[in-house]
Amino acid sequence: MAETGTPPEQVDDGRVGLSIDGRELRVPKGTLVLDAATEAGIHIPIYCAHPKMDPVAVCRMCLVNIEKFPKPQPACATVAGDGMVVRTDLPEVTKLREGMLEFLLLNHPLDCPVCDRGGECDLQDFTFRYGPGISRFPITEKVHFKKAVQLSDLIELDQERCILCWRCVRYYDEITGEKEIVLQQRGVDTLVSTFNDQQLTSKFQGNLPEVCPVGALTHRKYRFVSRPWDLQRTASVCPECSYGCNINVDSRDFEVRRFASRDNPLVDDMWLCDRGRYSFDRWNSSERVRRPMLRSDDEARDISVNEAITQAARRLKEISDEYGADSIAVLGSSASTNEELFLLERLARQVIGTPHIDHQLDPFDGISAAEHELGIAEIEECDTLVVLGTEPEEQAPVLTLRLYKAERKHNARVIRLNGDVSGTDAAEAAKGAIRIGLIADETNRENAAAVAGKLASVGSVRRLTITRGMNGRGAKDLGVLPNVGPAYAPAAKVGKNGRQILEALAKGELRGLLILGPNPALEAAGDLLERAVKAAACVVAIDTRPGVVSRHATVLIPGHAVFEKAGSVTNVEGRVQRIRAGLPPASATPTETRVLTTLANEMGAEGWGSGDPLAVNRAMRDALAAYAAAGNGGRALFSAAAVS
Amino acid sequence: MGEYKLLTKDFGATDLQTLKGYEKTGGYQGLRDAFKNFTPETLIAEVKASNIRGRGGAGFPTGMKWSFLPKDVFPRYLCCNADESEPGCFKDRYLIDQSPHQLVEGLLIASYALQVNTSFIYIRGEYHDQRLLLERSVEDARAAGYIGKNILGSGFDCDVIVHGGAGAYICGEETALIESLEGLRGQPRLKPPFPAVKGLYGQPTVVNNVETLCNLPHIVQRGGEWFKSLGTEKSAGTRVFCASGHINRPGNYEMQLGTPIRELLEEECGGMWKGRSLKAFQPGGGSMQVLLPQHIDLPLDMNAVQEAGSSLGAGAMIFMDETTCLVDVSMRLVDFYRHESCGKCVPCREGTYFESELMHRLEAGLATRAELASLADICSNMDGRCFCPLGDTATWFVMSAYKSFREEFEAHCGAGRCPVRAQVTALVA
Repeated sequence: MAETGTPPEQVDDGRVGLSIDGRELRVPKGTLVLDAATEAGIHIPIYCAHPKMDPVAVCRMCLVNIEKFPKPQPACATVAGDGMVVRTDLPEVTKLREGMLEFLLLNHPLDCPVCDRGGECDLQDFTFRYGPGISRFPITEKVHFKKAVQLSDLIELDQERCILCWRCVRYYDEITGEKEIVLQQRGVDTLVSTFNDQQLTSKFQGNLPEVCPVGALTHRKYRFVSRPWDLQRTASVCPECSYGCNINVDSRDFEVRRFASRDNPLVDDMWLCDRGRYSFDRWNSSERVRRPMLRSDDEARDISVNEAITQAARRLKEISDEYGADSIAVLGSSASTNEELFLLERLARQVIGTPHIDHQLDPFDGISAAEHELGIAEIEECDTLVVLGTEPEEQAPVLTLRLYKAERKHNARVIRLNGDVSGTDAAEAAKGAIRIGLIADETNRENAAAVAGKLASVGSVRRLTITRGMNGRGAKDLGVLPNVGPAYAPAAKVGKNGRQILEALAKGELRGLLILGPNPALEAAGDLLERAVKAAACVVAIDTRPGVVSRHATVLIPGHAVFEKAGSVTNVEGRVQRIRAGLPPASATPTETRVLTTLANEMGAEGWGSGDPLAVNRAMRDALAAYAAAGNGGRALFSAAAVS
Repeated sequence: MGEYKLLTKDFGATDLQTLKGYEKTGGYQGLRDAFKNFTPETLIAEVKASNIRGRGGAGFPTGMKWSFLPKDVFPRYLCCNADESEPGCFKDRYLIDQSPHQLVEGLLIASYALQVNTSFIYIRGEYHDQRLLLERSVEDARAAGYIGKNILGSGFDCDVIVHGGAGAYICGEETALIESLEGLRGQPRLKPPFPAVKGLYGQPTVVNNVETLCNLPHIVQRGGEWFKSLGTEKSAGTRVFCASGHINRPGNYEMQLGTPIRELLEEECGGMWKGRSLKAFQPGGGSMQVLLPQHIDLPLDMNAVQEAGSSLGAGAMIFMDETTCLVDVSMRLVDFYRHESCGKCVPCREGTYFESELMHRLEAGLATRAELASLADICSNMDGRCFCPLGDTATWFVMSAYKSFREEFEAHCGAGRCPVRAQVTALVA
C-alpha cells in the first residue's frame, strides 16, 4: 500500500497535529492556538487573553495567519485543529501587530516615566518588541480620562493608561464572581470604572494590578515605591495562613516592598487574598530580638550565642536532673519550618525526654489523617461542597475563589452551613450529592467529624481541615502535639497540651520551658502566658520579636523571621513547599535548626550532624515516609487509619 | 420586473394598523394556512424552497439559517431584528408603521416552523412610536387568540415580547442584540458558538429581519415555488428599497429583485433633483461601498451588486449629485462609526477614532499627503481585523470612495478648505 501513498493510519490519541511557523507539534484536542504556540516556544503577544479566564478576543494583538481562513484569526480564541497551518512570522502578521500597537498607543498617555508599571508593562514591552517605532498620528490632543482614581484604599485606577482589555472586569465576573468593575460609555470614550463610583469591597483586590497588563490598576501600597529591576525577587510561601499560596517576595534595600503571586495551579491558582498580599509590611518591622541574652533575677546581660546555648543546655539539664525530665515543657509554633519542628520534637521526646510538647493552646483530640484527605485542587472534582461555618474562608480567604471556580466551571454546589449544624441537617442539604467535599476549620473539626459520618450516607466524603498558622499542618504531621508523635503515631505517653503547660508552669508544677517562637497562638492566652513564663525557673526562648516571652526568658536566642531562612512548610492539604532566604537576618546568629542541633548536642544527643537546614530536611524525609514521598511541592499523605 | 407590491400591497388601506383592518385584507390567513397545511418540518422545507434570503444585510438564505438549529434542544428562541439603524435605511419602520400585524403574523409563522414558544421583537430605541404600535398590536393579537396558548386550536403555544433597545447601532448585530436582550452591555459576542447553537440565554436562537418575517405570510399562502418565480434566480422575491439623497421623490419602493437600478431612480424616484447629474450612489446603507454612474444599469440583485464591489445590504439606496464632496460624505459616515463603535475591540474603537480625526483634517484641507496615505493604511489595519463587521465596514465606504475619487481626495491635501465646496459655492454665486 505504500506505493499508493496512503498516509500511515493515525491513531486517535486525543491529540491533534498542527504546524506553527513550520514547527510540527501535537497537542490535546481543544487546545487553543495560543497555548500550542507557547508549547512550541513561539511567542504571541496578548493583552486580553489570560490563562485563568475565558477568551474574549478583543485586543486583536494575537491575530495570526491560518491557512484556509479568509482573515487573520485570534490565537487566543481559536481551537487548534488537525492539519492546521499557523503562521506568525509572515509580513502581514508583523504589520497587523504594528497596526494594533499603533491603535493602542493613540490615546495612551505615554507617561511611562512616572508609571509604577514601567519596566514590567506589556504595552511597553510589546511596543519595543513588535511596535511600529514611529508615530504618525497628526493630532496632539488625545482623548482624556481621569487619572489616579482611588477605587479603594488599596487600588488606584488610571483610566487613561487603560487599554480596555477587560481583564479586571472579567476577573470580577469569572474569578471572584463579585462583579465590582464595569465598563461605561462606548467607543473611544469607553472607560473602566465601578458602578456609581462605589469603592471596591472585595477581599481580593490585590490581584487587579497583576491581571492588568498595563499601569492602569496599581497598588496604592506600591505607589512610586520601586522600579521592578531594583527589586530582588525570592520565591516563597505566603506566611499569613496555612493555605500555602505561592508568592514572590520582592525586596529592595533589605525591605519587603510587595508580595507578588507565583502561580501554583494546585494551590493558589495564581490568586492571593488582600490579607496575605498586603501583610508584607509586617516583615519590615524594626522590633526584633537582635542579641542573645542571659537573664538572672532582674539583671540581663548580652552573651555570645555559643554561651547562650551552653547556658540553656546546662540549665535545662539541671531542672531535668533535679525534678525529672517531665518537669520541662516544650512549645513549638505553627510559624516555624518543618525542619525546626522536626528537630524540636526529637529534642523534646528523645533528648530531654518530656511528653509535654505542643504548638498551640487548645487540645487537638481524636486527630486523624482523614480530616486532611481532600486536596485543594480536588475541590474541583467534588459535585457538592459543604463548608461549615464562616471560619474556613476567614482563615484561608483564597479558598473562596477555589469554591467559586468549582461552582462556575464544574457546576458544583457550594453549601455553606453553620459551624454547629447537625449531621442530619447537613445530609438533608447535600441530598443528591455523589462526591462531597467537607471543609471545616480547627474550631469545627469535631462537629465536622460527626457531619462527615452523616454525609457518608449521601455520597462519598472527603474532608479538608483548615489548620491555623502558616505551618500548622506541618506541626501536626511532625508530632508537635502532646497526644501524637510524628506521622500521627500515638505518643508513648500523652503529655499536657499548650494551655495545661502554661497553667502548670504558673502553678509551679512544671519548672522549665523551651519555647520556639514567634507563636501568635500563645498570645491568645494573654495574662496566663505572662504568669507562666514569670513563674518558670528557666525559660529558654528562641524568638524573633520582643514580647512577654523575650522579656522573661532566662536564655534568649534571636530567631530568624520567615523570609530570612530556608526550609519547608506544609499547607492545609499537606503540600510540602520550600521557603527561601530573601532578606538578611536581623541578628548575626545561626539559624534555628543549627541552634536546636547545637543545643541537642550539648545535652548529649548523638548523630545530629551540623543542623544545616538541607541536611535536616534529608533526615526528616528519612524519618517520615510521607514527607519522602511528597518531596518538594508534593502532598504528604498519611493513611487515614492513623488516629491517636 | 419593476415595482411589485407584495408586502406593501394594502398599504394605505384604512385601519390596516388595527387588527380588524388587517384581517379585512386577508390578514392572519397565512398563519391559519400554516397550521392547516404544514407541519413545522414541511414549513421549513417550503421556506427553503422559496429561496428567500435574509433582508437584514448579509443576505443569508433564511431556510438554511433555520436548519442550523440543533434538533431536540428546547427551548429555542426567535428574535425579530427591528433595530434598524443603518444610515439610509428606513424600510422596517415603514413596514411596522403601515402594517404591524403583518410582522406579528410573520413572526408567529416562523415561531411555528421553528417550534419556538417565546419570540421577541427587539426594536430600536428611537422607534418609540413603532414600539408602542407593536405592543398594542401584540396585545390585540393576543386578545384575538393569535398569541398565547393553543393558537387557533392548533395546539401550538407562543408568546411574543416587544423589547425596546437603548439606541445603539451595534445592537443590530445579532449577537449584540442577544446580549442587549439579556440585559447586558450591547456588544457582540465571541463566535463560535453561533446563536443557532447557543444564543439567547444559552439556547438555540434565530434572529431574523423585519422584512424577512413580513414575507412569510405570503410564502405560506402562495407557496415557495411562486415566490421563487419573483425576482432573479439568486435573489428571489421583492425588496423594499429606501431611496434617499438628491432625488425628486425619496421614499420606500418595493421592487421586484432584478429590476435595473436605473428604473428605481428614474421611474420611481423621479430622477435626480434640480436637473443635476448623478455623481455616485451607495446601495445597502452606510456600510457599503460607493458605486458610480456606470453601475446604474446593474440589476437590483444581491449577487450582481456584490460583483460590482458593493452590496444591496439592508436595502438603502443613497443617490448623490455632482455637488457632493465624497470626502465630506466619508467624514460623516466615519463619524457615525466612531460614535457607534461599542469599544469592545481595539481596531474598531481606536481605528474609527483615528479615521475620523484624519477625515476631519482632510475635509478641512489641513491634512498632508502623508496623512492621506496613512488613512489607507489605517483602514487596511482595521478591515478584517475587527471583532465584528462594524469595524470592518467602517472602512469600506472610505476606501471605495478613495479608490474611485482619488483626485478629489488628493485635492483636499493642504488645500486649506474643501475644494469641492469652494467650486460649488463659486458655481452658485
